[in-house]
Amino acid sequence: MNLLLLRSAILVAMAAPAVLLLLLAVPSLWSRPWSEEQAGWLTRAAFLAALGGLAVAGICFAAGPRQRILLRLGDWFSREGGFAFDLLIDGWSLAFAALAVGICGVVSSFSFRYLHREEGFHRYFVLLVSFVFGLELVALAGSVEALFAGWEILGLSSALLVAFFHDRPAPVDNALRVLTFYRIGDACMLTAAVLLHHWAGSDSLSLLFSGGVGRLAFLGSGRILLIAVLILAAAAAKSALLPFSTWLARAMEGPTPSSAVYYGALSVHAGCFLLLRAEVLLRSSAAACVLTAGVGLATAAYAAVVGRAQSDAKSRLCFASLTQVGIIVVEIALGWEVLAFIHMTGNICLRLLQFLSAPNILHDLRQLENDRGARLQASEEPAGPFARAIYLFALERGFLDGLIELWVERPLTRLVAGMDSLDRRLYRLPLALLGGGDEDA
Amino acid sequence: MPERLAWLLGLELFPAAVLAAYGLGLRGRPLGRLAAVCAGLLTAVSAVGLDRESFARLSIVLIPFAAFLWFLGTTVTPTTRLEDAGLARAAAACGLELAAFSTTSPIALILVWAATSALLAADHSGEHFRGARRLVVSHLGLSTILLAAGIALAACTGAGALRQTGLALVFAAVLVRKGIFPFHAWIPELFERGRIGAAARFNAPQLGAYVALVLAVPHADSWLLRSVAGLALVTAGYGALLALYQADARRACGYLFVSQSSLVIAGLEIPNRGALAGALILWVSSGIAVAGLSRAVLALEARRGRLSLDVKHGGYERMPLLAISFLVMSLAIANFPGTLGFIGGEMLARGAVDSFPALGFFAVAATALAGLAAIRMYFSLFCGKRDSGARLGLLPAERLGFAAAAVLLIGLGLAPRRLAGVLNRASSGVLEIQRTVAVR
Repeated sequence: MNLLLLRSAILVAMAAPAVLLLLLAVPSLWSRPWSEEQAGWLTRAAFLAALGGLAVAGICFAAGPRQRILLRLGDWFSREGGFAFDLLIDGWSLAFAALAVGICGVVSSFSFRYLHREEGFHRYFVLLVSFVFGLELVALAGSVEALFAGWEILGLSSALLVAFFHDRPAPVDNALRVLTFYRIGDACMLTAAVLLHHWAGSDSLSLLFSGGVGRLAFLGSGRILLIAVLILAAAAAKSALLPFSTWLARAMEGPTPSSAVYYGALSVHAGCFLLLRAEVLLRSSAAACVLTAGVGLATAAYAAVVGRAQSDAKSRLCFASLTQVGIIVVEIALGWEVLAFIHMTGNICLRLLQFLSAPNILHDLRQLENDRGARLQASEEPAGPFARAIYLFALERGFLDGLIELWVERPLTRLVAGMDSLDRRLYRLPLALLGGGDEDA
Repeated sequence: MPERLAWLLGLELFPAAVLAAYGLGLRGRPLGRLAAVCAGLLTAVSAVGLDRESFARLSIVLIPFAAFLWFLGTTVTPTTRLEDAGLARAAAACGLELAAFSTTSPIALILVWAATSALLAADHSGEHFRGARRLVVSHLGLSTILLAAGIALAACTGAGALRQTGLALVFAAVLVRKGIFPFHAWIPELFERGRIGAAARFNAPQLGAYVALVLAVPHADSWLLRSVAGLALVTAGYGALLALYQADARRACGYLFVSQSSLVIAGLEIPNRGALAGALILWVSSGIAVAGLSRAVLALEARRGRLSLDVKHGGYERMPLLAISFLVMSLAIANFPGTLGFIGGEMLARGAVDSFPALGFFAVAATALAGLAAIRMYFSLFCGKRDSGARLGLLPAERLGFAAAAVLLIGLGLAPRRLAGVLNRASSGVLEIQRTVAVR
């Protein structure tokens, strides 16, 4: 009875954003969108339903033996097998899903006023709701396919929101760049999934997400390390950990509420949540633990330095959030999961509040000056060559963009240009074989 | 539906209905166009009743697939680009493909191969398309010769090295027709310099893949299959990378075709049920997606002229349905979860890793690049400054066609059980034939 109620509550929580997505998207496509007020009521109802479902699920879980439950929703496409669509219910997953739905509910309420009469009003809400659905999938996923689906939805909605103001070229170019980094992470995750299936013969994430360290021993240390590195790369791409940090500042092109929920709060922590769930994998490989801690530490140091030289509030806030994300990753690598989760929750709420109040920053500063009765002092110029070098490093965001351009983009572009030029000659080969020439070439 | 009736409806009525539609006058007359669309739909529905041995199981999927491509072509091609003779050629090509997908006879397949090639050449008549015509004649002439020679050699020699040489020639013909390295370069050239609608119509059904699967794959040695799979995978990555680089929308579509159809061929060569079924699903998904993208480029060109991907063209607000359909088709190419491409891509990658590990990782990388290229096209064609041009909106028929393609890709991606079941059984049948041949 309890399990049935839990299952129904989870299904309601998952179905609410999916239904809302359809309700908002389809009329917009046929140029018959809901009015802002109607869209607002629909959104509120869906968020309340999702939150209610998760609350009931939480009560059912707390009232039960509090063990991890694998809810089997069946195979995606084949009775003989195919992709399992399972959900893994435990304290972590329910807490993160409830946090995500709650935060997105707050942001959607804020956005109704912020985006009032904005041209892309409905597009924004369609993307926000798809983000909620994706995040619920990531939080509750019990199979690789469910996790991957959620992961991809997060990435796509994020990139499309970066390109929200698509009449300007910069947001669109930046969205493509963000998507490129996400695709690298997605490819790593898919490769890890395929390898897991190949070596373990299972798509169930309960293998990675639960049980003791010994459960993975049959894979061998090399294979565990490889899967752990791929999962770390997927998490790093999503959470803008080094070496993927360069996309974060470029993602600030979207509307402020979306920046708040994605890059201040939830999306940037999705990688942390993935690592938190896969901690059995990290525990099974000392090398993976050291690598994860190193990446987290380097990211924290990088973001702390770079954030100090940013000239706009949103960039400063996103790097402040990234600093904490780096520290959370270190905590996960050290095995302090509870601390990491509390830290993550605190950082999410704080950054959300700061991002949402960022548009008021000039008003707040003026208020502060009025209250003090004096002007605020500008920060001092860095003195000495070392301080100047650090300042330049921070200002140029660690020269990451330049390095990527120098070491990756330019050689790759040269190579592809060469291939293209070769192709423009190669098509004449059969003409030559048949004894003809190409007069039009 | 009884099987005979299904065949009758699918294969006998289609040409009759198209001819009737032609008689009514297709261009500019709604009744004629409606009849042509109904013919495609009827064929698609009728094929549901089919069920025979392994290759006929493929027909259950491939006949409605070819009919849907016809439906898409007739609904979304801009009226300014329609001409009676071109549409009649398209109907004839579709009828030939439907016939090809329902037979395993080598002679019939050679005839269809040659006839569809001739139709593509005829599509490029006129001085303006001289270069494209030479391209088609030289490549498809070569591929027809290779196919005929290969089939003749394989049929005349019972077994051994000569038979394998014959099969290698069949594969070479497929490589040329489908544009797989080193014969890939003509496809983007054709898209750029020829008629993009005709190029999409010719490439999307992937007759080459069918010929490879029916005539060569069950009988070829593993070294031959692996060589072709390797070449196809290299092409898949190469094509995707070049699609990402292109400044011309047509050329980018051409490279996407090359990349996606190479993935299909790579999957067909892997002796693993999952990979084979994945490749078959990818065949349908990529065919609809890339044909849809090409048709969308054609629809946009009819309104804006030649499209460069270095410029942001805008227009999302005026054509949200086309933009979202384009995005869905791009996502199907990227194997995004919830689209049919995801099912095919994941099955292919898993199956490939089980029997040919490097191939699986290459498939993942190629798909990631192709997806990026397609989404870059979306950003370039629909984002940017507001387009102030007049009459940019879609016609009802265009809305119907593009929406149908998007709904099909998502619908089959969310509920692929019947399609996957049929193709799983078909792939088991192909592997069974392979095993029987190997025992002999």
